[in-house]
Formats: sequence, C-alpha cells, structure tokens
Amino acid sequence: MASVVLKNVVKRFGSTTAVDNLSIEIKDKEFAVLVGSSGCGKSTALRMIAGLETITSGEIYIGDTRVNDMPPRERDVAMVFQNYALYPHMSVRENMGFGLKIRKLSDKEIDERVREAADILGLNELLDRKPKELSGGQRQRVAVGRAIVRKPKVFLFDEPLSNLDAKLRVAMRAEISKLHRRLEATIVYVTHDQVEAMTMADRIFIMSKGVLQQSGAPMEVYSRPVNRFVAGFIGSPAMNFIDATLVRGDGGLIVDAESFKVALPEAFNASLAGYVGRQIVFGVRPEDMALAGNGVSGEQNILTARAEVVELLGSEVFVYLSCGRHSIVARMEVPDRAIEVGDTLQVALKMPKTHVFDKDTSLTIA
Amino acid sequence: MNKKILSNVLFYIAVVLIALVVLFPFLWMLSSSFKTQVDIISWPPKLFFEPTLANYRKVFEEQDFLKYFINSTIVGGFAVALSLLLGLPAAYSIARFAQKKLAVFILLARLMPGISFLMPWYIIFSRLDLMDSYVALVLSHMLIALPIVVWIMSSYFEAIPRELEESAMVDGATRQHAFLAIILPLSGPGIITATTLSFIFSWNNFMFSQVLSMEKTKTLPIAVYNFLSYAEVDWGGVMAAAVAIMAPAIALTMIFQKYVVKGLTMGAVKG
Repeated sequence: MASVVLKNVVKRFGSTTAVDNLSIEIKDKEFAVLVGSSGCGKSTALRMIAGLETITSGEIYIGDTRVNDMPPRERDVAMVFQNYALYPHMSVRENMGFGLKIRKLSDKEIDERVREAADILGLNELLDRKPKELSGGQRQRVAVGRAIVRKPKVFLFDEPLSNLDAKLRVAMRAEISKLHRRLEATIVYVTHDQVEAMTMADRIFIMSKGVLQQSGAPMEVYSRPVNRFVAGFIGSPAMNFIDATLVRGDGGLIVDAESFKVALPEAFNASLAGYVGRQIVFGVRPEDMALAGNGVSGEQNILTARAEVVELLGSEVFVYLSCGRHSIVARMEVPDRAIEVGDTLQVALKMPKTHVFDKDTSLTIA
Repeated sequence: MNKKILSNVLFYIAVVLIALVVLFPFLWMLSSSFKTQVDIISWPPKLFFEPTLANYRKVFEEQDFLKYFINSTIVGGFAVALSLLLGLPAAYSIARFAQKKLAVFILLARLMPGISFLMPWYIIFSRLDLMDSYVALVLSHMLIALPIVVWIMSSYFEAIPRELEESAMVDGATRQHAFLAIILPLSGPGIITATTLSFIFSWNNFMFSQVLSMEKTKTLPIAVYNFLSYAEVDWGGVMAAAVAIMAPAIALTMIFQKYVVKGLTMGAVKG
C-alpha cells in the first residue's frame, strides 16, 4: 500500500485544459473519491495516475517514487474500468490470473490467489465461465477480482458502478466499502455520483472544469462547502439558491428576498459585516426545511409558499414550492395531513444551517 | 396487402435481372468449357449441346496446370502472410494513434494503377537478377495484399474497446504483449476477411506475373493466356482453365463469406 501525491499536475489536449494545476495528497490506506460532473477532469486525473495518459506538467508520486515517466506496468497499480474491460476470450480464472502470469508467478501461487479473491467476491462457481456468460454484476465482481489478486500498491476505480442497475449499485457500493476495510488498501475512486462519494469516501475531492474545488471528509464538504458549486453538487435534491439582499434589522442581519424575509443567526454577523445592503445568494438545503410548528421553532425563519408539485417517497416528501419569483425545493417528513398541490404552506428554515454566497465570486461568505 | 405483394414481386424481378447481368458471363464461361470449338462459335448460341470434357483434359494434361496452381498458391500464400505480418501492427498503430495520413498514403499506393509500378520493378528486379523468382512476385503481390489488410484491420481494431489493452497494460503487459495476447485473439473474423480477400486478389492478378515471371514462376492467370496463340484462340481451353482457376477463389469465398460480410460491414459502419 502507498500514498498517492499529485503536485501541480496539468493535462492539456491541444488547446483545452482537462486538468488544471491539480494538487492532491491521498494518504496510505485512504479511500479517496474524485467527484464531479462529466468532463471535469476526474477521469483524466485517474488515468494519469495509472500512466494511461501522459502528464503535460507537474509531478505524480506513488509512495516515494516519482512515476511521471513510468509505463503503467511498472507503477504497481490496478484499475477497474467502467465497462469492466474483461478479456472476452479468456475464462474468469484466466482473466483474474492474467496479470500474475505476466509477472511470472508459479501456477500454484496464481491458483491460490485467484481462489482467495474468488472466495472474497463469491466467484467460485463462475471461474470457468467466459465473460459473456456473466451478468453485469458478476462481470463487475470479476473486474474487481482481477484487481485484488494483484495486491497492488493502489487501486484505481473509474466509475465502476455506473453500468449497473440501481439496486445492484447500492449493494456493490457497500461491498466495495467492505473490501476497502478488509484489504486496507489505498483506493482512488472516480464517480459523477455524489451519493457514491458521500457514502464510500474517507475524503472527497470535488472537481469542476479541471480545477479542484474542495477536498475534505464527506460531512465537512456537505456542511461547509467553500463555494456555490460544491454546495450545489453535494446533496440531493440540490441546495436552493435564492437571490436576495442583505439588510440590517432590529436584532441582526436579515435576508430580504422580497417575497420573504428571514433573520440570520448572530454567528453570521462577523463574516457578513461588509455585505450589508448588497446583493447576495442565500443557500438553504431542502432537508433543512420543515413545516412550521413541526419541531423547528422561531419567528423570523418562516416563509409562506405555494406547493406546485408534491413527490411522495413514502418516508419523506419532496415539495416544489413557489414563493414570489423563487422556486424552492423542500425535503420533509410526511406530515399527518397530506400536502396537496396548491396548498399554501408555512415553511420554517433551520437558519444555523443556511449559507450565504458572494453573488459575484460564488464563494461562501457564511 | 396487395401493395406489399406487388412490391415483393418487383423486388424479386429486380434481383433476378441484376443476378442475370452479373452471372451471365460466368454461365457463358461455364457452358462453353463443356463445348467443342464448333459449338462455341456457332450462331445462334446453342443452349443444348453434347457436353465434352476434352477441354478440361487439355488443361490438366497438355498444360502443366498443377505447377501453375502451386505457383499461385506459393505467391499468394507468402504475399498474404508477409502482408499480415507487416499489416497487422501497422493497422493497429493507425487505429490507436490516429495515423490517418499514413492510412491514406497506403490507400494511394493501392489506387495507383499497378502498371505504373511495373517499369521500375522490371528494371530493379532484372538488375538484382530476380526476374522469374518467387521473391519478386511475392513482393509485387504484397502491393495488392498489404493495403487490404491495413484497411480492413484498422477499422476492425478501432471497434475493439481501448480499455481492453489499457487494462492489460495496467495489469503488467507491454503494449506489444497486449496486442498479441488480447487484441489479436479477438480479431479472428477481421483477419479471416483480410486474408480471404487479399488472397483472392493476389490469385486473380494477371499483370504482375505476366511481366515479372517466366516459365518457372508462372501463375494460373498466365496459364489461361497460354491458350491464346497467334494462329487461333482455343476458346474451350480458355474457358475450362478459367473455370479451374475460379473454383478455389469461389470456394474460399463461400466458406468464409459469413466473416467476409461481417468484416466488410464492420469497416463500413465505422466509416
């Protein structure tokens, strides 16, 4: 096992910059997730770690070794691809043993390692099948198995679950997390799915347009996003962003969104001092809203809105609200009296959990 | 419903017409090979006649047909084998490293009339004392086989997901090893297509052997030419020889047609 360090890594394809000055440090045995929408450079970053893509400038270290000019085969990493990339003409056993055979391990040892991995992944019955005789989930397991038999320094996963159906994805998610604990492996995992990132990662690296936006533990990036992009990317449904003006009220600072006014907690005062009287973007997560009188109390934290769409999920309900010119999504517990489309609701915001962004720079102010 | 029947009928009429036009010379050749010289040149053409095997006897007894057959096989076989040896890696490199210019260059060599190569070849091979040698013929026939191999295989390789060899390379293989162990075993249908087509084109080639070979290395199409003399044209012999030459090519095509169609359309779809 080993750490992975990227120092000021840049990748250009012609005139487009896919990865721009990326510096990240992944600790030994850490489960690191690179997340971002498609084209953000996360896969390119992963492929540069694997050695499948050259580096325009910067340095990459695996352990203490600078690997910039090393071909993939010398880096001692294993990679799981989105489309599994199983060798169609080889059996599961041969697929898993391929890398070991190249490394000239004895047949006995190859057999042992393949068996061991097959035990972990429940592939024992399938060892003599060809990839085309397997289901999507089984192929995925074989791809993971082919990686773990190698006992590499670092595991690289490139969107490994995105070809699976929703149910299987949830199951594999848990399984990969379990595998990580069991193998005590360093894992770099790329996904566009923020749920995967939140549930699996020790540390999340959020990228946009080739630039690292923020890194941190899942709860850290969730509760303290550094900018509007991160705030909107992490969490589902996405955070509501409301254009508003910051004004001084009797007790403290007030967010004036025309159709509603809410008071910010005192803790926000210091950092917002310079923004009084200016346009800001007010951010509130759907899950930080509740029907008034439903456990969230206060006076200056309530807005009145009309329910436009109501999505009942069983345990909870998504309500799409309109409040003046603002559209707001709320994610709430199912109330005793069902919410109907067209109802006028009193919605309370958990003000300490809200965010304020600079309208021009999109950076988080409070 | 009636419209559908009508369109079906029209479709099959068109198919039959096209087939007739395409197959007529072949049928003419086949029937003539069983006719006597008198029957062949009689007017109107005889649809019913007493078939004779004399023409075939002439081809196989008077002419050294077997020798020419072996020559054609040697020349075609080596030309195709060497073209695969050079063409497969070339096609792979064109497919993976987007060497479009190189690909066009190879195609150009194929599109240039073969006769324009003959003059320099004649001079070069005579100076090297390689006239009437298998070496010269095999090299010249590679001009036919190599571009076919490169073009069919490069589009075939493009259709194989890159991740397969990337995975092999991360697993510890060199690119060459990945090509041999992963890509080639998956390219069977493409290789069969390229092999069949280039062998047939080499088999059918007349011009190169006519100029570069003499008695020792003469190939089959030249043997047909032997039946044309200054005094008269032995049409029955020509036709029988032509049938004998075509038979292996047709047999090859029929055996491998499934792959040939697959291989060709694969390239077509990929553009």
